[in-house]
Amino acid sequence: MTVASLAAVTKRFGAVTALDDVSFAVGQGDVLALLGPNGAGKSTAIAVLLGLRAPDAGSTELFGLDPRRPSARCAVGVVPQETAFPQTLRVFELIDLVRRHFPDPLALPELAGRLGLGPLLRRQLGGLSGGERRLVAVALAFAGAPRLLVLDEPTAALDGDTRSRVWEAVRQHADGGGSVLLTTHHLAEAEALARRVVVLERGVVTADSDVADLRRSAGLTRVSYRGGSGSVSVDVDDAGALVASLVRRGVPLVDLEVRPLTLEEALAANRHRG
Amino acid sequence: MTLALAHARAMTLELARHPAYVVPTLAFPAVFFLFFAAPASGDAAVRMATFAGFAAIGVAFFQFGVGIAVERASPWETYLRTLPAGVTVRLVARLCSAAVFAGAAAAIVVAVALAVGGVALPAGAWAEVAGVLAGGTIPFALLGVAIGYWAPARGALPIANLLYLGLSYGGGLWVRPERLPRLVQRVSPLLPTRALADALTRATAGGGPPARSLAALAVFAVAFAGLAALGYRRDEGRRYG
Repeated sequence: MTVASLAAVTKRFGAVTALDDVSFAVGQGDVLALLGPNGAGKSTAIAVLLGLRAPDAGSTELFGLDPRRPSARCAVGVVPQETAFPQTLRVFELIDLVRRHFPDPLALPELAGRLGLGPLLRRQLGGLSGGERRLVAVALAFAGAPRLLVLDEPTAALDGDTRSRVWEAVRQHADGGGSVLLTTHHLAEAEALARRVVVLERGVVTADSDVADLRRSAGLTRVSYRGGSGSVSVDVDDAGALVASLVRRGVPLVDLEVRPLTLEEALAANRHRG
Repeated sequence: MTLALAHARAMTLELARHPAYVVPTLAFPAVFFLFFAAPASGDAAVRMATFAGFAAIGVAFFQFGVGIAVERASPWETYLRTLPAGVTVRLVARLCSAAVFAGAAAAIVVAVALAVGGVALPAGAWAEVAGVLAGGTIPFALLGVAIGYWAPARGALPIANLLYLGLSYGGGLWVRPERLPRLVQRVSPLLPTRALADALTRATAGGGPPARSLAALAVFAVAFAGLAALGYRRDEGRRYG
C-alpha cells in the first residue's frame, strides 16, 4: 500500500528546474532514503510531497489525498531541514501543542523515554544547544504517533549517542510497520536505516532501488591489503580470483580485507559506469 | 476550536515571557497617559477611553503586523504548515491571544485613569466603551494582518510604529481633534483612528455609539480585510506556490 507518492512531478523556480519528471513512492513499511548532492532537489521533493509547494506538472498524494488538505497530514510526522521554535516556550509545552494535532498521539513519558528527552522537558527552547533543538525537532515528528515519518537530515548536529537513539527510534517505527522517508548527506546513515534508496541528481531520479540490489548491481567487492608497494585498495568482480593470483605471485598480504561495497561505494561505482 | 485555543495559549505564553514585548505593550500607553493626558484639562473619561483605544490598537498593530511578518520569515511557520491544521486555526489563535493583551493594555490605562481620578462615567457607559473598544479594534487588527503579509520581516516594526503613532496622533486618540494643528485637523476625519476616537467619545456619554463612526469603522474594516486578503494570496503564491 502506497502512503506517499510523487508522480511525474516537475517543479521550476524561474529558470531553474528543481524537479524534472520525478516519480517515486513510499509504501507502508518502507524506509526510503532520498539521496543526492546539495541542490539535487531533495528538499523540494519533500516540500512538494508535504503540500508546502505546488508542482508545476505531475501529481502528489499523501495517504491518497492532496497533501494541501490538512486531513492528508493527520498521520505524518516531519523533521524539517531548518528548525526554529518559539524561544520562551518550554520543551514539554511545545510537544504538548504538537500532540494536540493528532488523534492518537504518543504519551509524553513514552516519547521522552524513547529519545532521552527527560532532562530537556522543562527547559525553554531558546536556551537549548543546536543539537538539543534538533533532538526536539525529531521528538515532534514522533509526537503524533504518525504512520509516515518525513525526516530531512534528522541527525545533523547530533552527537554520536543521540544519533544512535534517533536511529533506534526510526528502526522501532519501521519495525512496527511505519514508513519513513529520509534525506541525509551521510550515506552511513542511509545504509544503517534505509531499505530502499532514490538518488536525485539535478532534479532527475538516477536510481531507485533496494539497498541490497544496488550493492549487487555494482557487482563488486572491495579488496584492501598492504603489499610490497604499500597500501592497495581495488574493487573487483571476483575477489577470490584476485586473492589467489596475489598469493600465487608471492605478494605479501598484510591486513587483507575483503568486503562488500558500502552504499556510498556502490553508488559511486554505478555512477562511474554511467 | 480546542486546537485554536491551544495555539492561543502557546502564543500568549510565548509573548508573556518576553519582557521586550510585554513591557512596551502594556506599560507604554499607560505611561503616555500619565505624562500627557492625566495633567490635561477637559473630560477625564474621554481621555481615558481614547487612551484605552490607543492601548488596544497598539496590540493589533504589533501582534498582527509585526508578529505575522516575523513568523512568515521563520522556519517555525513552515513547520506548522506540515501539521494537520488549516491557517484559520493560527489566525483565530492570534485573535484570541491579541484580545488578551489588548484587554490587559486597555485595563491598565483604565486603572491608571481611575487612580489619577476625575473619571465619571454613567453606569451603562462602561459596557458601551468596552463594546466600542472591542469592535473598534477589529479594523486595526485587519490592518495589522495586511502589514504582516505585505511588509518584510525587518520592515514591519518601523512600518507598524509609524502607522500606529501617526494614526493615533492624527485621529485624536492623544489630544482632542479640535486641538490638533490645522493641517492635521483637515486630514483627521479621513483616518480610521478618528472614527474610533469619535465612537469612544460618544460612548463615554452613554448615549449609544454614533452610527456614522461605526459605519466608517466598518468601511475601513472591509478595506483592510481586502488588503490583508490580497497580501495573504500574494504571500501564499510566493512561499507555497
